[in-house]
Amino acid sequence: MTLLAPNPSSAGDAAAALEVHVLADRCAGCQECVIRCPAGALSMNERLWIAEADAAACVGCRQCERTCPFSAILVEGMPDVAPRTLERSHHPGSLLGDASEIRLGFATLEEAQAEAARCLACPDPTCARGCPTHNDIPAFVAAIVRGDLVEAHEILRRTTVLPDVCSRVCDQASQCEGACSWTLAGGQPVAIGRLERFVTEVAPVPPLEVRGDRADLSVAVVGAGPAAIGAAWALREAGASVTVLERDAAPGGLLRWGIPDFTLPAAVADRPWAQLVEAGVVLELGHEVDADELEALRREHDAVVLCHGASQPLRLSVPGADLDGVTDATTFLKAGRATLAGEQPLAELRAAFGLAAPVAGRRPSVLVLGAGNTAMDVARTARRLDMDAVCVDWLNEAFALARPDELAEARAEGVEVRFQRTLARLDGRDGRVARAELSCTEQQRPDRRPTVYTDANEQLEVDLVVMAMGYRIEPTFSASLPAAPVRRQAVGIPDRQWAASGLLAATAHRPGRQPIGQLALGRQHAVEAATLPVQDRVWVAGDALVGPSTVVEAMAQGRRVAAAILAAGPRRPGAERHGGPLRVLVAYESQGGTTAAAARAIGDEMSALGATVRILPLGRVGVTEVVACDLLLLGSFVEGRIVAGVRPARAARRWVEGIGRLAGKQVGLFCTYAVAPKQALELWSAQVEAAGAHVLGTAAFHRRVVGDHRAGLAAGHFARRLVTAAAPV
Amino acid sequence: MALDTRETPVHLEDPVVRSMHLRAPERTGLAARFAASDPSPGLDLARNPRVARLLRNRKFQFLLILPNQIVFWTVIFVGLLGTAIPGLNFGAAITWYVWFCLVFVMMVVVGRAWCAMCPFGGFGEWIQRRTLFQRTQKALGLGRKVPEPIARYGFVIPVASFLLLTWIEEFFNIAGPGNPADTAWMVVGIVASALTFFLVFERRSFCRYFCPLTSLIGTVGSMGSVAGFRTRDREVCLSCTTKDCMRGGTDGFGCPWYTWPGSADSNLACGLCTECYKSCSEDNVGLFLQKPLTSVVAPRRRRADVAWAVALLFGLVLYQQINATNVYNSVDTWLNSHMGFPHYPNPVAYLAIIVALAAVLAGITRGFSAVLARRDLELAAPGGFADRRSRFRAFFVPIAYGLIPVMGADYFARQLPKFFKHAARVVPSVQHIVGFSGTGSPIYATRLLGDPSIVVVQVAVIALGTLGALWATWRITGRELVPVSRSVVGVRVATTGLVVVAGLAAAILYVAMHAAS
Repeated sequence: MTLLAPNPSSAGDAAAALEVHVLADRCAGCQECVIRCPAGALSMNERLWIAEADAAACVGCRQCERTCPFSAILVEGMPDVAPRTLERSHHPGSLLGDASEIRLGFATLEEAQAEAARCLACPDPTCARGCPTHNDIPAFVAAIVRGDLVEAHEILRRTTVLPDVCSRVCDQASQCEGACSWTLAGGQPVAIGRLERFVTEVAPVPPLEVRGDRADLSVAVVGAGPAAIGAAWALREAGASVTVLERDAAPGGLLRWGIPDFTLPAAVADRPWAQLVEAGVVLELGHEVDADELEALRREHDAVVLCHGASQPLRLSVPGADLDGVTDATTFLKAGRATLAGEQPLAELRAAFGLAAPVAGRRPSVLVLGAGNTAMDVARTARRLDMDAVCVDWLNEAFALARPDELAEARAEGVEVRFQRTLARLDGRDGRVARAELSCTEQQRPDRRPTVYTDANEQLEVDLVVMAMGYRIEPTFSASLPAAPVRRQAVGIPDRQWAASGLLAATAHRPGRQPIGQLALGRQHAVEAATLPVQDRVWVAGDALVGPSTVVEAMAQGRRVAAAILAAGPRRPGAERHGGPLRVLVAYESQGGTTAAAARAIGDEMSALGATVRILPLGRVGVTEVVACDLLLLGSFVEGRIVAGVRPARAARRWVEGIGRLAGKQVGLFCTYAVAPKQALELWSAQVEAAGAHVLGTAAFHRRVVGDHRAGLAAGHFARRLVTAAAPV
Repeated sequence: MALDTRETPVHLEDPVVRSMHLRAPERTGLAARFAASDPSPGLDLARNPRVARLLRNRKFQFLLILPNQIVFWTVIFVGLLGTAIPGLNFGAAITWYVWFCLVFVMMVVVGRAWCAMCPFGGFGEWIQRRTLFQRTQKALGLGRKVPEPIARYGFVIPVASFLLLTWIEEFFNIAGPGNPADTAWMVVGIVASALTFFLVFERRSFCRYFCPLTSLIGTVGSMGSVAGFRTRDREVCLSCTTKDCMRGGTDGFGCPWYTWPGSADSNLACGLCTECYKSCSEDNVGLFLQKPLTSVVAPRRRRADVAWAVALLFGLVLYQQINATNVYNSVDTWLNSHMGFPHYPNPVAYLAIIVALAAVLAGITRGFSAVLARRDLELAAPGGFADRRSRFRAFFVPIAYGLIPVMGADYFARQLPKFFKHAARVVPSVQHIVGFSGTGSPIYATRLLGDPSIVVVQVAVIALGTLGALWATWRITGRELVPVSRSVVGVRVATTGLVVVAGLAAAILYVAMHAAS
């Protein structure tokens, strides 16, 4: 076995050209660059207390540029990294009826190790943030370099249950590989996806092992897609009893019917459910849950997880859209998959879609609306079913939603993809679609809607139109879900750790591409949103929460929901409660220290009453802290103009606004004041209750009381009142 | 006992944290480096809950800026539209009789107090941040960094802009004060240029690199007793991996002045804006007091740009004293007649004298280094303009720092005549805005102090500054020059003598100015 140097350079010239400039006037000596430099090229100049660089050791990853808070470092020159290993793919001689996998992994361990050796093992790995489920990429890649694939597999399984699936279907360019330091520095990323696939090909995912002791927990999961897999796996692994209710005849959701075999072989797609069922997950197929049954599930189980997906296809409302021969992607893909798997003859499929058999070399022509990944799957499936396929999308190709490699493969297979076109109308003959009229569009920026020019139309003869523009959430559980899908977009001041990693830095953004850091942070926002229940003991994950997303995102959300359930430990009415102490979180907003002192006083009293208490400033309290407590105690000083506008601190109100949901959470509120609290607590109670919480009690403490011997007395009274009212879960 | 823990429930641990393996920060020599400059923990004003509340309030700086903003927009409007009599025009009166003097008092006592309330920077910052006081995320403007070729010269660029502004002010007799409209236009010019810089560059690049006053306030302000916002526990800062004080946190922006409380060893670049205090998630930043002159004496990193700024600024104020003497009048007139320049001040003489005075100071210290430096001294060290080392710099830079008190005193003393003679005119100038009072008002003619007494006060101020400089120079010499000198006595005598000569020169010039007037 050959172990390669950590960063084998094939570009000696580039190494020589690398220059690092520390701007002495702006460098404050904070060492953010020093602690994050993967090459150890930065150290401190003791005399000046500023960073100094060893250009000879620099590899040009520009991590320092991105992480310096004052932009005091400049790196000149190209990244010093070996070329990325070329991707391998399988080219079938004839596409007709061929469902064999197109993309191939590494052939040998040596090949994988050569690629793995390109990894810098960044101390603050941006790739791990780019991965929606936060795989420990540097660690598993390092294990591959060592040749320890078992360890690599174990590292992956800490954060994912679908490594074999994700390595095939993820758009790594907008996730881990897009966030790779080499990519951010303008180079070629480490082939993380292929390395993950290599690990799972050599060492298949082992059976689910029940390790935990949470047999007292019963959870119902609605749906059987990637989110459900993520949730069910983590819950079952912890020992919970899990019942999955799926309306289709086979589990898997999108994995099953949405992704063709040539991208995700059936054996890989079916693996998770086979292992889940084997591990004791109860799977009820053909069981459609409606809103009424949801209530019954809540009564029967400690928690319910809704993972019913977003499977309602979007349809373009153009003239002629209701003609025969216009269908949606789901219908076409399901039929296509069955035909390619030999479960349904091709003639039957043609008949189902009203298509004639090819005559004199003229194949049926399929117009696919959209050029995202689903559209590519439709078009490529059509090519395998002996049809011509044209995809049209009103987006600019530079901002295309499809994976670049998927797009290239589709074109190589004869799919015609026309960007900056949109369907204007469909004309029919004898009630069946026959011609499509396309309008040209123009899109200058990815965040702008394209402009449609109706004066420059094109005609296209078509036999079948497949609408593959996306999906939306089904309205079945609309009463239980947030009013609108959670936007995968982080708003406000970004998380501190994310900002410090450099992934959000302006220099991490490549012109003409979507800002990778914002994409990743948006995905993380969705994962955070999945943590809190939408109703008492009801969680939502996956496409049902955020609208159409990706396999890995749904799985990550499912895992997060499972973690939240395990941390919260919900109990259905009448179920035996655990005997542990009441878990109290005291969260305060303090300006001068008075409210913090009050929080400590109350916390001390609660602790003396036997509760487990955590005391944190509100700024440090997120969904993870909230979900893991039985009683949330919120404290704030009051602000306002003494007689008017007196209310809790703006930051405290905004925290409640930001957290959004406190469904079923037991909450106590307190405030500190200098003159009078007025209606501050009533206002705050109303806000907290609107978020779904039960307010158990409120108290106002005068600033002077907090500072003297009366503090303990007042806090003790309040603490006793709350502990009595709050039933330990 | 309640637990103040930050542990995350085991199931909900952030997986990324597990994949992070940050290197340990370097700590070698830290304690020794900051021992002299770190303020005492007992002098942390932010330990007081009332002060803490004030500093944490996002409206704090806004409320500091707002009154000055109102005053300066009034200066603009009254200067342009009000009476042409300078003493009755609020714009001219407040600016030249009171404001400049007050700014000096603030500098000497507090440091960059003016920067915290400056209406020029404040206005630019409001526009740049798109808010008056809230924590916003997206800034308006291009957000560029100051190019390194400019930034490397640190305080020298703002000295150049101060020299330019002073020449303009002298040429148009703005500060005389002459026509109040000129004062208004000058303020408009500063506001416009500040705004332009705020829209082109990020943070307070204008204040740090271009503001005409920044080098003066920075250097003179280092005499002040406010150390600025500093770390409470450096170890906490070192182990902090997010540096919210620099990047910005939920409650505060990142430091607009490019300063990290964890490594600040002087108040030179602390704008007292409170942002680091607000944004620190560890509550590890305090507002510290310090003994006067600590920021002159204690910093370990001596910067050549600061030294040259002191030399040039000293040159400027000495020039201003010299140009009030009879001798200079004839020189200037002679030069103007030969160069065809309309009137005082001749730009060539202006620049030549200032640069020559700075060069004289540099030359003297060069002489010190030639005579006194140890023969075996090897001080050559690479670095930028500010940090390069040489035998000359080993003497010039610390000595220039030691002269800051006498230079500051000289500037302050120069503002005193206008203050003592005309500060009372601010009252009738305010009354004049609303239509009554005039030059006949008894307050208009009131003087707080007469001419001979003013000179006495000026000389006393210089004496005080010289004493401060002597103390600072003695300390700096002992710590930084004695180890590199052949003769302890020699270097002590040389540096002390230089300070005395500088103080004497300034004092004598005030007497000469009085005689000339």
